[in-house]
Amino acid sequence: LEQASRWECDCFPKPYNRKAFWICSMLILSLMFFFPLRQELLKWNGWGYNDSKFIFNKKGQAEFTGKRYRLGGMVLPTFKEWIEKTFGASLEHKTTSRASLNVNDVPPSIVNEEFLQDLRATKISYSQDAEDRVFRAHGHCLHEIFVLREGMFKRIPDIVVWPVCHEDVVKIVELACKHNLCIIPFGGGTSVSSALECPEEEKRTIVSLDTSQMNRILWIDEKNLTACVEAGIVGQDLEKQLAESGFCTGHEPDSMEFSSLGGWVATRASGMKKNIYGNIEDLVIHIKMVTPRGIVEKNCQVPRMSTGPDIHHFIMGSEGTLGVVTEVTIKIRPVPEYQKYGSVVFPNFERGVACLREVAKILRALFASICLFLLFAKGHALKPQVASIFTSFLDGLKKFYITKFKGFDPNILCVATLLFEGDREKVLQHEKQVYDIATKFGGLAAGEDNGQRGYMLTFVIAYLRDLGLDYYVIGESFETSVPWDRVLDLCRNVKERIVRECKEKGVQFAPLSTCRVTQTYDAGACVYFYFAFNYRGISDPIHVYEQIERAAREEILANGGSLSHHHGVGKLRKRWMKESISDVGLGMLRSVKEYVDPNNIFGNKNLL
Amino acid sequence: MKCYTPVIYKGLSPCKPNAIKSAVLQSEQVQYVIKQLAKEMGESPDIIQEEATEILDEMGHRMQLGAVRFFAFTLSKIFKQLFQRVCVNEEGMQRLQHAIQEHPVVLLPSHRSYVDFLMLSYLLYTYDLALPVIAAGIDFLGMKIVGELLRRAGAFFMRRSFGGNRLYWAVFAEYVKTMLRSGYAPIEFFLEGTRSRTAKTLTPKFGLLSIVMEPFFKREVFDTYLVPISISYERILEESLYAYELLGVPKPKESTSGLLKARRILSDNFGTIHIYVGQPVSLRTLASGRINRCPYNLVPRHLPQKPSEDIQEFVSDVAYKMELLQIENMVLSPWVLVAAVLLQNLPAMEFELLIEKTLWLKGLTQTFGGFIEWPDNLCAKKAVLSGLTLHSNIASLVDGHVVLNDKGMEDGAVGEMVFRHALAVLMCATYRNQLLNVFVRPALVAIALQMAPSFRKEEVYSCFNFLRDVFSDEFIFFPGISLKDFEEGCFLLTKCDAIQTSQQEIYPTDKGSGTVSFLSAMFRPFVEGYQLIFRYLSKEMKEAFTEKQFIPGVRNFVFQLLEKGSTQCYEALSSDMQKNALSALVQLGAVKKKKMPSGFTYNVNQEAVSKILDMFDDSADAIPEHNEFLFPEYEILIEPEEPEFPADSTDDEQGAEDTSKGAKEQEELGAAGTADEAFQSLDEETLEAMAKHETEEEKIFQMFKKQVAAEPEQIIRYCRGGEGPLWVSGENRPEEKDIPNCVCGAKRIFEFQIMPQLLNHLQVDSLGESIDWGTLVVYTCADSCGGGSEYLEEFIWKQDYSMGCTL
Repeated sequence: LEQASRWECDCFPKPYNRKAFWICSMLILSLMFFFPLRQELLKWNGWGYNDSKFIFNKKGQAEFTGKRYRLGGMVLPTFKEWIEKTFGASLEHKTTSRASLNVNDVPPSIVNEEFLQDLRATKISYSQDAEDRVFRAHGHCLHEIFVLREGMFKRIPDIVVWPVCHEDVVKIVELACKHNLCIIPFGGGTSVSSALECPEEEKRTIVSLDTSQMNRILWIDEKNLTACVEAGIVGQDLEKQLAESGFCTGHEPDSMEFSSLGGWVATRASGMKKNIYGNIEDLVIHIKMVTPRGIVEKNCQVPRMSTGPDIHHFIMGSEGTLGVVTEVTIKIRPVPEYQKYGSVVFPNFERGVACLREVAKILRALFASICLFLLFAKGHALKPQVASIFTSFLDGLKKFYITKFKGFDPNILCVATLLFEGDREKVLQHEKQVYDIATKFGGLAAGEDNGQRGYMLTFVIAYLRDLGLDYYVIGESFETSVPWDRVLDLCRNVKERIVRECKEKGVQFAPLSTCRVTQTYDAGACVYFYFAFNYRGISDPIHVYEQIERAAREEILANGGSLSHHHGVGKLRKRWMKESISDVGLGMLRSVKEYVDPNNIFGNKNLL
Repeated sequence: MKCYTPVIYKGLSPCKPNAIKSAVLQSEQVQYVIKQLAKEMGESPDIIQEEATEILDEMGHRMQLGAVRFFAFTLSKIFKQLFQRVCVNEEGMQRLQHAIQEHPVVLLPSHRSYVDFLMLSYLLYTYDLALPVIAAGIDFLGMKIVGELLRRAGAFFMRRSFGGNRLYWAVFAEYVKTMLRSGYAPIEFFLEGTRSRTAKTLTPKFGLLSIVMEPFFKREVFDTYLVPISISYERILEESLYAYELLGVPKPKESTSGLLKARRILSDNFGTIHIYVGQPVSLRTLASGRINRCPYNLVPRHLPQKPSEDIQEFVSDVAYKMELLQIENMVLSPWVLVAAVLLQNLPAMEFELLIEKTLWLKGLTQTFGGFIEWPDNLCAKKAVLSGLTLHSNIASLVDGHVVLNDKGMEDGAVGEMVFRHALAVLMCATYRNQLLNVFVRPALVAIALQMAPSFRKEEVYSCFNFLRDVFSDEFIFFPGISLKDFEEGCFLLTKCDAIQTSQQEIYPTDKGSGTVSFLSAMFRPFVEGYQLIFRYLSKEMKEAFTEKQFIPGVRNFVFQLLEKGSTQCYEALSSDMQKNALSALVQLGAVKKKKMPSGFTYNVNQEAVSKILDMFDDSADAIPEHNEFLFPEYEILIEPEEPEFPADSTDDEQGAEDTSKGAKEQEELGAAGTADEAFQSLDEETLEAMAKHETEEEKIFQMFKKQVAAEPEQIIRYCRGGEGPLWVSGENRPEEKDIPNCVCGAKRIFEFQIMPQLLNHLQVDSLGESIDWGTLVVYTCADSCGGGSEYLEEFIWKQDYSMGCTL
């Protein structure tokens, strides 16, 4: 605790010790995480922890509250101006969310008494409490948050169950089959594809199967570098607990504080350090899943097998339509000896992308992560002094800009952040190689601190939307994967399409539409888009927003991008599945579903 | 000197023409083709690369501001000399200015004259807009200094045909696309591919259009604006040149000396130019929901890819849409109306009537959506007069009548006369033609109304559909919307009260008969011209031929008919119409087009052509007003008959000689240009066939045939009290007693006979069904009693080929 409080006092411990961070958060969190009220730590109507959010303080300056993040307690003096200029938002025009859930609005829980009796007999804890049920009725899509703030879902789970082990899950699925209920598995609740939304027309009792209590590491096999983990474990807990033994998985999706291992498997997740560690499909050795037909798993834990199509690939990305993943054996690695951040500034996005492509070609899996931000949304008259929310990040850059980048046009400046892991010598060697390549493309190294701050932002960026919502600004991010040769065209066209659609749909203020390249592969890249606009004057902003998002997705597909790189399909992107995987492909998936779950017990209606 | 700081594309990274060239050479697309060719031909890539460089040097532009200034300076002088005014729609220029900044722009002007692109570049320069790069025909390069100057003013040159040359295609396509993608400059080219010699919009060419659309399909650009531009000339610089060309006097090669000679033109007045810059059309909007993305997502974008069928269809639709927009915005001058009226009233028309008709046509044109520039407060008389002054080379006012200037040398031979007249008609038609695409839908409905056996909607529509198919290359129709075109035509005709429609029927109103007949007369040259050409193909042409054989052949055929006076359709001499008719047959499947090493050859399916011809013939003769009860009206020409018939007498001699010794007069049917040799041959065949059954009567029948052969189309032989009738058969000739005396008591004598040929002209010649006769002989009172105007009963004797006679 002593250690923890010291860390809390010091906003920027230097050098930042990652291990220390995990240990102290563990100390705090393990005290607070007791069964089953983790949800009390989290916002009921927004992203992340209750105590962490952006606010405008009495002086009208933006501030990030709480002490969980390094940005916590910091004042962002230019943020207000930026938000006003970018969105035409004003602090006087505020919309406030309901302070708390109105229990009377919540649809009643309808559960068959026989089932309840059977359930009680199993001793699995459950709840029919309204707050518990609403908490598990949604993910984090914009429209879901909007409903939480201003309305109510038409259909929510009738009952929440908390199994604590594989056997509990087997019992629940058996009961569901017996009583013909609908099960919707719930992990971290961070879905952004409407995957957790209950189908309105579902007449059966909906059981939300919360895996959060299945959160143990069952064993660690140091010889084979694998660990068997229960699927409900949340990303940061997993890393933390592995770290105690000196290991890590290296899987770090942006949502790792909240998302669960089972969720990663069910959506084909991707982490930002996948260059070294791989995506979830590369990490997984063995999966145990409970389906209405029974349990599906392989007979051994081997690195690879040639036994027909890999059944793991029916499970990964099944989005809760086939069953519940209960236990996963995952690859682990020793915690890297040395970790180094870095950053490179490019005169424009084109050069940045060209450099990333080259780095991906030459260095492949030698660096942990490279990530390219388009710093200033072009055409939005963002001057560097009003620059951006990421003031601390930018202040550093600004100094740099003044001393070194006089030749660069600050309006189209773009920065790549880098993360190297491994033994010290190799890290330094790779770092040099990357900087050498960057120089060829007109990039200039912009320091370690900037790189580190850039990565920190990844975790707080999701909090921004809640602030925007208070001021009539709605926004969302979405992602795609695209071949290298189309990256630039896709980015330009999608941004342009968003701007154009906004204009057509009567959005009065120019939208923010920007993008970043977050993952590099041999054959392509993962691109994130950020899109937000001020909806004052629009009667049905969510509808307008959805139309624009749909147009943007159409544009992505027309430009040769994928339906999703790692967010999944859910119900939000179902309409494009046929186009994405062809009729026959869809039929193949359907027939698997048909066999595994003929009565549609896992009836969340995702994917197909 | 003007300060020129043009508005440019927002995403433009400035670069020099040479940078573009090297970008093209280094591009994956060109490199890919080079490697492919090197592999196939077993040559080193360097050699092919060299070749590509040469192609690019031949093709590429070298836009220089200096040259542009030079052009602007000289052009402004020249234009001031030539033209009275240049009118531009300002809002169009403003729209263009926005468009140029936003997305890559493709300018699609109509093409009537060389002046088009000079004028357009000059205009953009004047308005401070980025100068376009222009796809020009390589023949311009033949002009020594001028070619180079054009190049520096932004023209790039394409070979007229390069289908087979993959390297050329790759380099050319990539060159155009590179300029488009980078937003280097607006790209300008002509959808019509070449200058329209007839001032009628030509059917579009798709090659360049699909090249400029490809970057959008591949999403290399967010959008592309297509800007239709309509340029209309009150008087076209090349008008007489075009007319000569259409008549087969070859096109002079572009040469600098030719241009210098053209200076003579400078002293002439060419009136006003109207430039209408249309609303930029977003390709993205056009494509939304139409293009399947897959083909472009699954293949690397630099690989040459044959466009899928729906892409090809889309390109063609866009091309037609753009041309229709050009037509819609094309400014029509009063002279266009005058020419249209005048051509229907040749050889001369009373001036006052012309004015009246022109005014009426103005109203009609406006109803149909034509865009007429009629100077404010200008009375009709002045407008017509000023048109006549400007076009004094075509028509002039003589004694209160307006006539075509087709006289030239009065003493010329017949051929020369025909040629001169054709020249005048074609020049005049150039102006009328500007109306046609505005009028074509209602006019085809009007013609279909006359063609159709009844007023039932389906039948009228099926005739309309037939006409639309036949004229698909002659006029611009958006592909595949026949019914919509039909409805539009009906709507416009209803709007001007020419027709009424009920649920099942369409029928002309009494009030609208003038409009309907005007419309069909307006398009009659095409209906008749196509028939002539089809007839030539079905009868005269051997099975397989090339275009080089076809054009002179059909020209001679028409020329002879014109000389004989058996047709008045001078426009059928136009090579444009001839080519269009041929390609219509190709599309209708009646002619097969085959690609041979030496070029295209055609194979006629004569039966199919005859069938198409029948569709026309069912109706075309009936183009004069008719209904179900009355026969159509014709004019009867009267000529004396030669007493002797030398065995080798030819048609040509007949026309030239003017002896009139013959006691008999012969009347010939001159059915407004439709009488022709087909009838002649048909008659002979039928008669011959019948004659064979009548062996004993052969002699008399042979006499009959011989007599008739001199003028095969005769319908009446007149010889009051003379030698008596020309019998078809020895049987059933009346004797004296058979012919009753007149009511006044006097004897009845032979006055005239009606020949069986009339049945053919009236199209009541289906054996066994129609009325029939061998000849009808009319006997009248020898005293010519009853001199008043009342009708008198006379005696008619009907003789058939074989069987008995009746009264």
